[in-house]
Amino acid sequence: MDEPRDDVDIWLSERVKPLLPHPGTFERIRRRARRRKLGQAAIAAGGAAVIVAAALTVPPFIDSQLGRGQTPIANSSTTATPEHTHSRSPSPPPSSSSPPSNVTPSGPPPVPPNFAVSSVTFVSLTEGWVLGQAGTPGQCGPPNAFICTSRAITFNGGTSWQGGHAPVAGLPKGASGVSQIRALDGRNAWAFGPQLYATHDTGYTWTPVNTNGMRVIDLETVHHRAFAVWARCTGTGADFAANCTGFSLYSTPAGRDQWAPVPGATNLTMSQAAGLAPVPASAQLALTNTVGYLLAPNGDVYSGPITTGGAWHLATAQGIPAGCLPGRAQRDGVPSRAMLATTGTGIVELCATTGTGGVQVKTLRYSADGGRTWQPAGTAPPAGIATSLSGTPDGRVLVATTTGIDVSANTAGSSPSGLSWITVTGASVPGGFSFVGMTSDTQGVAIPANKALHAVWFTYDGGKNWVESPVR
Amino acid sequence: MFRASDRVAAEELFNACYPRLAGWVRRLVDDDDTAHEIASEAFTRLLARWSSLDNPQSYLYMIATNLVRDHWRKVGRERRALRAVSATVPADGVHHPAQDVEVRALIQALPDRLRRPFLLHYYGGFPVKDVAVMLGRPEGTVKADLHHARARLRAVLGEADG
Repeated sequence: MDEPRDDVDIWLSERVKPLLPHPGTFERIRRRARRRKLGQAAIAAGGAAVIVAAALTVPPFIDSQLGRGQTPIANSSTTATPEHTHSRSPSPPPSSSSPPSNVTPSGPPPVPPNFAVSSVTFVSLTEGWVLGQAGTPGQCGPPNAFICTSRAITFNGGTSWQGGHAPVAGLPKGASGVSQIRALDGRNAWAFGPQLYATHDTGYTWTPVNTNGMRVIDLETVHHRAFAVWARCTGTGADFAANCTGFSLYSTPAGRDQWAPVPGATNLTMSQAAGLAPVPASAQLALTNTVGYLLAPNGDVYSGPITTGGAWHLATAQGIPAGCLPGRAQRDGVPSRAMLATTGTGIVELCATTGTGGVQVKTLRYSADGGRTWQPAGTAPPAGIATSLSGTPDGRVLVATTTGIDVSANTAGSSPSGLSWITVTGASVPGGFSFVGMTSDTQGVAIPANKALHAVWFTYDGGKNWVESPVR
Repeated sequence: MFRASDRVAAEELFNACYPRLAGWVRRLVDDDDTAHEIASEAFTRLLARWSSLDNPQSYLYMIATNLVRDHWRKVGRERRALRAVSATVPADGVHHPAQDVEVRALIQALPDRLRRPFLLHYYGGFPVKDVAVMLGRPEGTVKADLHHARARLRAVLGEADG
């Protein structure tokens, strides 16, 4: 199913660890470049004088050789006030509070004020990007003062943040805008939800991808590919992933924007009965290093290869538990009732149902055979409404809720009595969290539901303790 | 000489690209200082001809690739000179902290025709079509060069394992 990977493949796929510049490096480089440019101009001027002097004495045939297709040295070098000729697409400065152009900038670009994080992605333990809305509408940009979508970057695991270019797209509003971000590595990344933008140059430029009117509600990356769920939706305002009735899995090689439907996982719908029109639902992607999984709108789980655009197939061999359907989408596109996540040992599904007294019952099940068979994995703590599900490479499970973050003590599938849960500190945030994800067994990141907190939360000990990282 | 708007754009590019470029160079050279030197020199050359470039990032990596090659040659000359004057100095007197050393040495041994696309594609992460444009070669040629480079690495690594 997966291509064999030898030592050369493994070595080549190792990610580059960014090396931060020393303070003042840019100014030193700028001064050095300026000196060189002055020197080149002086040499060129001297050269031009020689040519002018020579033109008075050389025979005519040399003059004719210079006359066509060649430019006198003086003309090509005297570029005192050159026009900026970069072909990169326009993109806003990283911050609505960027210094005006007549002020000498120094240091990394600042994070724009009031950064409301809507999505986070990490490409290594140290380098991570967040996407969100920042600044004040009407004072953002250029190019558009009312587009305040912003990106911030950390190169030290959340200790500090700096601004970065973001797609020129507004906040989600029906079929337009972006709210989510996923990076494959430091070079290739995608912003989506509902529109799709791609960068292949570390986020310096972002290019819109034509999705033929479909909305991108989920996207994940692995190895050298990106996979995304495109859907036909009619949700309005911030609910871009609401009222979706037709779902298809698309894939592209990294570094190119060649999105194509994945055979076997297209036109997926949720129908209450055969012959009836599909009802609105949601879907979710989860990828491991070898296999991809898609939670379809009718609760089925599909799986397929992730190194190619090869066909996916229905993985579920046993019935879907009653009530375990993805249901409507949350604001970030994630299903509200059933959620899927991968661990290093298998896949986990959370089914949320309403119990007595309105308490949400979060039933978990686990599959160690790629979704073919499932075993009960107990229930998550009852407090709060589940918003996000994640797994660690060593097999533990995390659930973000509207009251905090629940972290399992044991690994899924390791005990017949199911998962048990540890006491978590630092995650009692009013409103809870809208997302939790683990970068490694020990390091993870969570987004608070209250965007006005202008921060994300990190754990560096496997989820036991969480600390706030203000994005500023 | 360098307008304010250009300066802001250049600094944005610097902030966006320097950490990754320096990290990229770091995998190819022996120490952080050399990596910073090469990355800084690449940016200096970029800024010195800022106005005439369509794809500054590609240009950066091309300069850095050439500077890394020059560094390898210089280090090779120094090592040979050192061995010539002192029999007591170990053959490899330079400390290599990274686990990349063995493969790096193999890349150094690749002919320039194979090494440049290899570094740009696998180390720089540029798609084949971009590498083809940067090197002025057809895509098919670049693909073939990458294939030959990998085959050579595999062959040498296989011999070493055996």
